Formats: sequence, structure tokens, C-alpha cells
Amino acid sequence: MAKKPAWLKVPYNAKAVAEVEGLLAGKGLHSVCQEAACPNLGECFGKQTATFMVLGSVCSRNCRFCNVSPGRPQPPDPEEPQALAQAVQALGLKHVVITQVTRDDLPDGGAAHLAACIAAVGQVCPTVTVEVLISDLGGKEDALAQVLAAKPQVLNHNVEMVPRLYPSLRPQGNYQRSLEVLRRSKALAPEILTKTGFMVGLGETDAEIDALLEAILATGCDILTVSQYLQPSPDHAPLDRYVPPEDFDRLKDHALAMGFRFVAAKPLVRSSYQAAEALEACRQGKKLC
Amino acid sequence: MEKMKALTLPVLSEGMGEVVLCAWAVEAGQGFAPGDVLYEVEADKVVHQVEATEAGELVDQVAAEGDAVRVGDVLGHWRG
Repeated sequence: MAKKPAWLKVPYNAKAVAEVEGLLAGKGLHSVCQEAACPNLGECFGKQTATFMVLGSVCSRNCRFCNVSPGRPQPPDPEEPQALAQAVQALGLKHVVITQVTRDDLPDGGAAHLAACIAAVGQVCPTVTVEVLISDLGGKEDALAQVLAAKPQVLNHNVEMVPRLYPSLRPQGNYQRSLEVLRRSKALAPEILTKTGFMVGLGETDAEIDALLEAILATGCDILTVSQYLQPSPDHAPLDRYVPPEDFDRLKDHALAMGFRFVAAKPLVRSSYQAAEALEACRQGKKLC
Repeated sequence: MEKMKALTLPVLSEGMGEVVLCAWAVEAGQGFAPGDVLYEVEADKVVHQVEATEAGELVDQVAAEGDAVRVGDVLGHWRG
């Protein structure tokens, strides 16, 4: 195990974590915080916030950087949308991020279930804003349209990494298909903010990052997150390097100058980091991080 | 005075295996308040600063800095 740099220290409060875990378990819900072994779990659960993961905890793909269990997923739980909405209410969230495991086994990739989750939150907590972090839905436009028709405030789909690394780290993904999700979303529902994110520290070059930023921006994407890849276990893709915080600052300034409306770029940033702030900044027309 | 209790390593992340106790933040005989960092452990992704959930006093340190530890291992003892 490579020695961790000083900036990779995170607080952990077992009592706060147990409270949120108890709430989720009691409703049969999953969080990506737990399944992905997110380093910010202790901090976020301590603030009574979580990113919900719907459609089960087993993913139909097997990306080499991800801690979510691959395998054959269970059928969608029809009670999940209502349970999710109740958990959002119980936690008193103002903004909720709902993500999914990839469901290539379902004809619509899980779009109908996602739409039901968005609708349930809208009914139970009408003032809560919703961000969905979706898979590429197999590249199916009708599935994407179904999610957008449920009117989330933010549609997030992560490109995850520079395209050269897809075959080795994201073999069932497709870089162009991911960009197309963002492009189509903006075309189908221009009022819904689009968001994506990628990791650094996987062996990418500065030139590759520049090209990736250009490609993302060309889709009309509004919000960007950039984070440090952290190897979940020795069985996962190896870490190339720890990128220092000042390099993230430069990347953020560069991306904002290019035209992104909101950029969160720090070693421990994850997709849902500052999600509510990003939405608010975009609504107010600010360029911020 | 309350009975002495074991200070055990909690589950810090899903599928967590062996981690390294990198540093104690409190010495034996030292008091602590809720939220105070008790110790740091280095896991696969990050270094976790594990906080006290209640006020108390550390009685002893069973695990030493640099030791490899697992979930449930007794790191030390404390009393409230």
C-alpha cells in the first residue's frame, strides 16, 4: 500500500455513521457511500446526508476501479421509490442525489424505476431538489427521455476517465456513448442541468485531460467534478499517482475559464460533493467552486 | 467510576480488510470529549481519523503504532 499523503485524512464518527446506516437498513435502502467505500462517508453521514443507490447493490458491469459488487442483480424493488422518499424526508434533506447500479439486464436500463424514484421524492418532499447520477442506460435514447421526463434538476453521468483507459478499466463502457448521454440530455431537456465527473491519478496525461475537458464542454455540460482515484483494494486497478491539491486548483481554474458553470476539483471530491451548492450556483448564474 | 470498556476498531468502509494503526492521538490517562480524534488508521483509500463518540479517559493502549489491525480488534481500553 502506497503511503497516503497528508491531504488524504478524513474524520470518522462511528455514532453518526451508525445512525444513518440504521435508517437506510431499516428501509431496505442502499447508499453508494457504503457500497463504493467512499472516503467521505464518515463526514457526510456525520452531516446526516447520503447518496442513495437504487436498483440494488449489485452491478451488471465490472469496472476495475469501482468497489460496487459485480454480478447478477435482483429484480427492481417496487417499494423502493416510496422508501427512498421517506428516507429523504426523515433525513431532512434539501437536495438529494440518487444514483444507480448499471442494469444492462433490464430493457430500459432501470429508467422507469429511476423516474418512479424522482416522482416519489417529488410527491413526499415537494421542495427537495433531485439530482440523478445515471448509467449510460445502454445508450438508449427513449430510456434517457423517460428519466428526463420525470424532471430532475440535475442529470449526472460520469465519463470517469480519459478515453485511452476505457478498454482496460471500463471495458463494458463506451466513451462516445457516455458523451452522447450528456449531449442528448441537453438536447432533449435544455432546462435540466447536466453534470459529469472524472478521476485523475490513473495514468492520464495533461494533454489527455485537456482533450477530455474540450469533449465534455462540447456536449453543453454545466457542472464538472474532478477527483483523485483511490484504489479500493489490491484487487482493483493500481494507482498511478497522488495528484497534489494545487494541481486540482489549477485544473479547476482552467475548466472554469473554458466555460464550465461550476467545478468541484479536489482530491476527495466525489460526484455528489457540493451537489446542492453546484445547483444553487448554476441557478444564480454564478461561476463558482 | 464506570467500568473499563474495550476500544475496538469499527467498520470504516465496506469490505475493509487489514488496516494499519498509524498514530494514537491520546495517551493513556488522558481524557477526551465527543468529537476528539482518538487514533488514525491507514486503510486502502485514506487515513481515517476516528473520533470519540462519548466523553471518557483512555486507560491503556493495547495496539501500538504501526500494528496491522482488523475490524473488532481491541486497540485499547477506556472508561466514561
